[in-house]
Amino acid sequence: MTRPFLSTTALLLAFSSPAFAIDKSAVVDNYADIAAAAYGDSLITAKALQAAIKTLTETPSAENLQAAKAAWISARVPYQQTEVFRFGNAIVDDWEGKVNAWPLDEGLIDYVDASYGGPSDENAFAGLNVIANPSFTLSGAQIDAKTITPELLSETLQEADGVEANVATGYHAIEFLLWGQDLNGHGDGAGNRPWTDFASGDSCTNDNCDRRAEYLTAATDLLVSDLEWMAQQWSDGGAARTDLLADADAGLSAMLTGMGSLSYGEQAGERMRLGLMLNDPEEEHDCFSDNTHNSHYFDGLGVQNVYLGEYVRVDGTLVAGPSLSDMVAANDADLDAEMKSKLSTTMMALGRIKTAAEAGFAYDQMLERGNKAGEALVMGGVNGLIDQTRSIERVVTALNLDGIDFEGSDSLDDPNAVFQ
Amino acid sequence: MRHMLFTILATVAPVTGFAEQDPRVAHIVQDHILPRFETLADASDTLANSARAECTATSDALRAAYFDAFDAWVSASHLRFGPTEIENRAFALAFWPDSRGATPKGLRQIISARDPVAMSASDYQEVSIAARGFYALEYLLFDEGIRALGDETYRCTLTQTITADIAAMSHAIEDDWRTDYAAQLLSPSGDGHYRSDDEALQELLKALSAGLQFTGDTRIGRPLGSFTKPRPKRAEAWRSGRSARHVALSLQSLNELSRMLAGTDEGLSRKLGEEFTRASTQLTGLNDPVFASITEPRGRLRLEVVQQSVGRIRTLVREALGPALGVAAGFNSMDGD
Repeated sequence: MTRPFLSTTALLLAFSSPAFAIDKSAVVDNYADIAAAAYGDSLITAKALQAAIKTLTETPSAENLQAAKAAWISARVPYQQTEVFRFGNAIVDDWEGKVNAWPLDEGLIDYVDASYGGPSDENAFAGLNVIANPSFTLSGAQIDAKTITPELLSETLQEADGVEANVATGYHAIEFLLWGQDLNGHGDGAGNRPWTDFASGDSCTNDNCDRRAEYLTAATDLLVSDLEWMAQQWSDGGAARTDLLADADAGLSAMLTGMGSLSYGEQAGERMRLGLMLNDPEEEHDCFSDNTHNSHYFDGLGVQNVYLGEYVRVDGTLVAGPSLSDMVAANDADLDAEMKSKLSTTMMALGRIKTAAEAGFAYDQMLERGNKAGEALVMGGVNGLIDQTRSIERVVTALNLDGIDFEGSDSLDDPNAVFQ
Repeated sequence: MRHMLFTILATVAPVTGFAEQDPRVAHIVQDHILPRFETLADASDTLANSARAECTATSDALRAAYFDAFDAWVSASHLRFGPTEIENRAFALAFWPDSRGATPKGLRQIISARDPVAMSASDYQEVSIAARGFYALEYLLFDEGIRALGDETYRCTLTQTITADIAAMSHAIEDDWRTDYAAQLLSPSGDGHYRSDDEALQELLKALSAGLQFTGDTRIGRPLGSFTKPRPKRAEAWRSGRSARHVALSLQSLNELSRMLAGTDEGLSRKLGEEFTRASTQLTGLNDPVFASITEPRGRLRLEVVQQSVGRIRTLVREALGPALGVAAGFNSMDGD
């Protein structure tokens, strides 16, 4: 019979004790700690990828190509968990195109199958193939690409001719160079680039193996330096952290903006539902490696991390502290339970996609016209993400963040600001 | 004690549960939403009938029916929640923008293979959304390449099937609104889709702000491209000469919705009306149906001015209308990149 007593006490405490209030800036601070850890892990795993690629280019072999691919897959685990920091933090959103731009017209970079087609109305450089062409004309200027450097990729080729599909840098450019095109359509298998594409002398296949290795090295060096910069921004005194902590309410708003915008517009819409509705095997986020199930899973996990205020580092360490969940629970325990339950439901649905993919039913097979099981799996994830967005909106209301501009990446660069 | 507490709650709950409904929601459902989806269903029927009667791409009657139905869609295109989102209906009615050319690619595949899927509208629901709806039909009626592809009989069947598919989706949207969704929006409840009037109002505010964002950033922003590289061929429905018309129609609809949301706040309603009128007048003054003039600095600047006016409306909605309604802007499908 102690129960009624306990609830009465709890009620009294809830009404009378401001000590139970959660410090907003501690929640924002913990969020910045998680970002610092996740970008730090992205850097650590990118350096491991860089080392594996150095081994591959110095000693090309099937084993060394496989090791580089494995390093790329590992590097995606922490990076995808950082995507939730993108929307809501302008410093990340302005930068992320360098490292994770997608989709890409890969013919810009290297040889492609005849079925790819060439230049299109949208992109005159879709078939440029810089690896095979040490010199070419771009928007009227003659470009010297005799040496493939990080600067050539980032300053000249990235978004060449103002076309976003000209992706010359980042994870997906590296992914293409490691795997090659996935020519299996909705069938079994990922890209299957032969290791001899990096071999020297007569063993070299598909020509220009030295330039291909040079490109791969330059792109990986660039990825490492870009991640170094971002990890710096979240460390003590870094710009991202300082901006966020300057105003705790704006910081909370950034956290929820990231959760909602990634869940709804980006992941549920652009990355998952659209590909399904188009039945296009190239509409998968990691289309060369068939690693899309992991990309989606870790994106979803990133959203859950931010709400729960927890992140498991690549060395197994848990980073945890005061969370949005604590704040919501202090105001409205039912809403906190609802939010947690929706996030779990989404993770279960994304887990099903991952499970099926790892057992051999690849994400691009799920997108095939008329594939009901695949459609149900993908839509399970989409519905979970859409549903959790409604609860995120309720959290915004419950935390009285209504007055703050709540839109996504587009509004971060307010087009009107230019004219003011 | 616990028992008594429940009794008290049970007595109080119905009072708050059936609190006086916000009159703005009912007004918007009856006079803004339902009429638009009714017009869309009717115009889509006429379109499907016209294609059955005469399916050649140059048929005046077919093109006129297409324009009427497309007008009806654009005027409802901001209402992207509930029935439009079931079974991918709105995505399939209106797949645009198409930055990777999925619509011509999908149509070419289907026409070249004489895919039997085009023999029935119900089978056709399986195909990629890029090959369905108003934008795919625009290629069949107005794109020289697609109009010359394969044989005419097959293209005729495909035109009839796409229009029948459009009609079926439009009816499904209208039916769901009438039989189910209007009631959900009008009667929020603790276990319903909308838990309070505030959530219903938030949905409508989101439709307004997402509609403004789409018109400003996509319908206008996409062709504008960058100063050094304007992209008139990225304008919406330029093949059928409808780009500016879509901006005008969407502004009309969004103006009406914003005024209904402002409700009895006459000052705000007037201010919104002035801003919408400014944008529409500037657009009319442009006198450029497919934004062809944006390749010249003068023409470009004039379209940028229209975009800025849409931006001013967005600011007003965010900073004045949202707070007046007491709801946050929420998330929309364009929040990604």
